[in-house]
Amino acid sequence: MADAAPLLEVTDLACHFMTLDGVVRAVDGVSFRIERGETLGIVGESGCGKSVTALSILRLIAKDTGRIVAGSIVFDGQDLTRLSDDRIRELRGHRIAMIFQEPMTSLNPVLTIGVQIAENVVQHMKLGWKAAMDRAVEMLRLVRVPDAERRIHDYPHQLSGGMRQRVMIAIALSCDPELLIADEPTTALDVTIQAQILELMIELKEKTGAAIMMITHDLGVVAETTQRVMVMYAGRKVEEASVTELFARPLHPYTRGLMRARPRLDVDAEEAGRRPRLQEISGIVPALNRAIPGCAFAPRCGFATEQCRGQRPPLVAAGSGHAVACWEVDRVERSGLA
Amino acid sequence: MTSIALDSEDAAPKGGVAVFIRRNPTIVVGGALMLLLFAIAIFAPWIAGDPLRLNPINRLRPPSERFWFGTDQFGRDVFSRTIYGTRVSMVVGFSVATVASLLGLTIGLLCGFYKSVDGIVMRVMDGIMAIPSILLAIALITLTRPGLAVVIAAIVIPEIPRIVRLVRSVVLSLRAQPFIEAAIAGGTKAPKLLLRHILPNTLAPLIVQSTYICASAILTEAALSFLGVGVPPEIPSWGNIIAQGRSFFLIAPWSILIPGIFLAVMVLGVNMLGDGLRDRLDPRLARRM
Repeated sequence: MADAAPLLEVTDLACHFMTLDGVVRAVDGVSFRIERGETLGIVGESGCGKSVTALSILRLIAKDTGRIVAGSIVFDGQDLTRLSDDRIRELRGHRIAMIFQEPMTSLNPVLTIGVQIAENVVQHMKLGWKAAMDRAVEMLRLVRVPDAERRIHDYPHQLSGGMRQRVMIAIALSCDPELLIADEPTTALDVTIQAQILELMIELKEKTGAAIMMITHDLGVVAETTQRVMVMYAGRKVEEASVTELFARPLHPYTRGLMRARPRLDVDAEEAGRRPRLQEISGIVPALNRAIPGCAFAPRCGFATEQCRGQRPPLVAAGSGHAVACWEVDRVERSGLA
Repeated sequence: MTSIALDSEDAAPKGGVAVFIRRNPTIVVGGALMLLLFAIAIFAPWIAGDPLRLNPINRLRPPSERFWFGTDQFGRDVFSRTIYGTRVSMVVGFSVATVASLLGLTIGLLCGFYKSVDGIVMRVMDGIMAIPSILLAIALITLTRPGLAVVIAAIVIPEIPRIVRLVRSVVLSLRAQPFIEAAIAGGTKAPKLLLRHILPNTLAPLIVQSTYICASAILTEAALSFLGVGVPPEIPSWGNIIAQGRSFFLIAPWSILIPGIFLAVMVLGVNMLGDGLRDRLDPRLARRM
């Protein structure tokens, strides 16, 4: 790990939701760090706490039900969990920006896209409206919206999904954020558009030097865009490694399951005409409103032992920046890649 | 490359007036009726004679060349009275719709946005909603001097909760929209969020609702005037023309039928305008109602 202070350091973050069915431990003791200019991927299936982690950073968890119960989120030296509401609002959209999953509904239907970009600029960079509109045009050009001068007068319904996501990216980057949180930015888009948006994000990241926290359930997205990956399951971090390391040597049974669950044409097409079945991870994500004493993945895991069910595995180093939380790592590794 | 824009109806070729009429017949017909009645209300002194002039010799005359709509039991010209009556209905309808919408919008926005106010204010609204407007008007007029302002106030008060509920429900559903979440994540302050992002999105259903309130206000005013608790008798209103003519219905039906027809046409016009606007502004609402 780097010696210099990281841009973002999350330590033992726990975010719980108080519901009628009890306390839901959506995020339960997660630690990670993001260096300046780095892209960290957070992977996991639905309901594993990826989005809640992201929302916690910006303190966007609805106050009446959810609460950050433990841990610290240190961004550039200041603990975001202790910041006043006003201070955190100044950070939002300025130094930490966010892109959401739904480009179709993430823009206000009654405002033109130019106004929506400029508004952010006016608010955070204290520019006048005219300068802000110029900045809007500049940003639209940057995200490669053709004919930007005319497009700023368009309303969101006049744009396609891919174009809207470009506008969202333009808004997010308009104030030169140091950290960009992208919550499944390509999930709602066509495959061809997904590739374009990812390419654009990589390119812009290089241009602006922003760090990206890329939340996704798509290992393909991770492979293409990130440098380091953190795999989450049931509100906990189960594995973390650099991208190349993770794909070469996945150690947690859950990570392996995720990889097997991807359709792969390249390998299988060669196998004599037989169409292999896609392997799913049997079972479902456990309910998070009851305390899980052992490893949360144990009920779905082929390697599970008594120890797995009874004791929570600690996160241990497994060489070359690789960390994994599994009691049976050795057995899993010996079993070879599926 | 992705498709850059979907051709929207607004950007469609400028087919002009004919296309608009063909696509929105209800707006056009309703709007035309309202414009006509609006013109009648404004130009009443030029169209009609003195609505108060008594003419005992010509009592209860049937419609003729001299008295187009006949005369009532005091020999007053029903035509003049009906034309002047348009003014009362117009004023009441529009001011009730405007005042109720503004008050309801303000309260509704606050209730939908701030949960702390919501509980208490909505219970008060439920209470107000239970008050029948006719009884409230009778009470208000007994307490004060009869007049247009009292009538308007009496109709506005029970209408406010309907607007508040509408606006509040729209705000609640908007708050869950990703673009509001995105605005919050962009660091937008609460007042700005409310005025710039939420308020404009509530206007379409609000405009539609306020046309219905306008129509119901016109009817309520007529009912109040008919009962004698509306505008004072020296101001001719369709309600009090009908009330005064009802004892002579068998010999002089025109003094009831004609203001009745005007009333029906005006309410029809407002409702058609409202329906047309609803279809145009909010297709989803159209299916729900």
